[in-house]
Amino acid sequence: MTATAERQMELTLPMVPDIEIAAARAAGNLARELGMPSESIDEMAHAMIEACINAREHSGSADRRIYVRITGTSLGEGSSRIDIWITDHGRGFDVTEARSRRQKLGTVHKRGWGLQIIEAHMDEVSITTSEGGTTIHMVKIGKEHD
Amino acid sequence: MTEELRVAVDRRGANGAIMYTKGYINNVGGEEIANRAYELMDADVRSLLLNLRETKIVNSIGISILIEIIEKMIDKGGRIGFCCLTPVIHKTFQIMGLANYASIYPDEDAAAKEMGL
Repeated sequence: MTATAERQMELTLPMVPDIEIAAARAAGNLARELGMPSESIDEMAHAMIEACINAREHSGSADRRIYVRITGTSLGEGSSRIDIWITDHGRGFDVTEARSRRQKLGTVHKRGWGLQIIEAHMDEVSITTSEGGTTIHMVKIGKEHD
Repeated sequence: MTEELRVAVDRRGANGAIMYTKGYINNVGGEEIANRAYELMDADVRSLLLNLRETKIVNSIGISILIEIIEKMIDKGGRIGFCCLTPVIHKTFQIMGLANYASIYPDEDAAAKEMGL
């Protein structure tokens, strides 16, 4: 099975309101070219939105930029794979603490759900974070319906 | 780039209403929904259905605002329902626990019947 990346895209986005929509649309267009099903694209879009919001709202990056890299690969037999890397040059964060957050009604902890949403909507998620910044690598694998 | 949310309200009886949203429910969209919902609560609406048929994207900040609306409605002894969610929005609501505190219906007819609207 050939699995070389057929489509690639790199974006440098300013940290402005709603910029996450631009990132999600770019990835969605690439995924559609590969025939990824719409529900998989929607899940990927929602994960990208959360990743970009996390970078914008919490990274504290001095350059106020989000660096997005997207690759798309046809896996054959109607399957496709999208890899997305979202990078900021901020201060990093505690992944364990972020994963442990749980919301309850009646508490003030209504925010901080981005990572849980990302992990629920994507097939693979890995995070590299340090005081120099954060990269979240997400993978979505889609298969055309019969 | 801005994905402005539009909201329309259909009052149903003395204590009911259906709110229709169109567009992205982010922080700004969530606040718009909250403002309209609080106006309705002040006008004695205690059964509020949000029809999200024309909303295809939400984010966690917008949903957190929806949860605040649910809390306020529960405090007032009322209830909130949602209908016409995309599968991904439905899944996101479940992840964030919203589905534990508000009813989710497949369509408006089913919701209106169940909620007495």
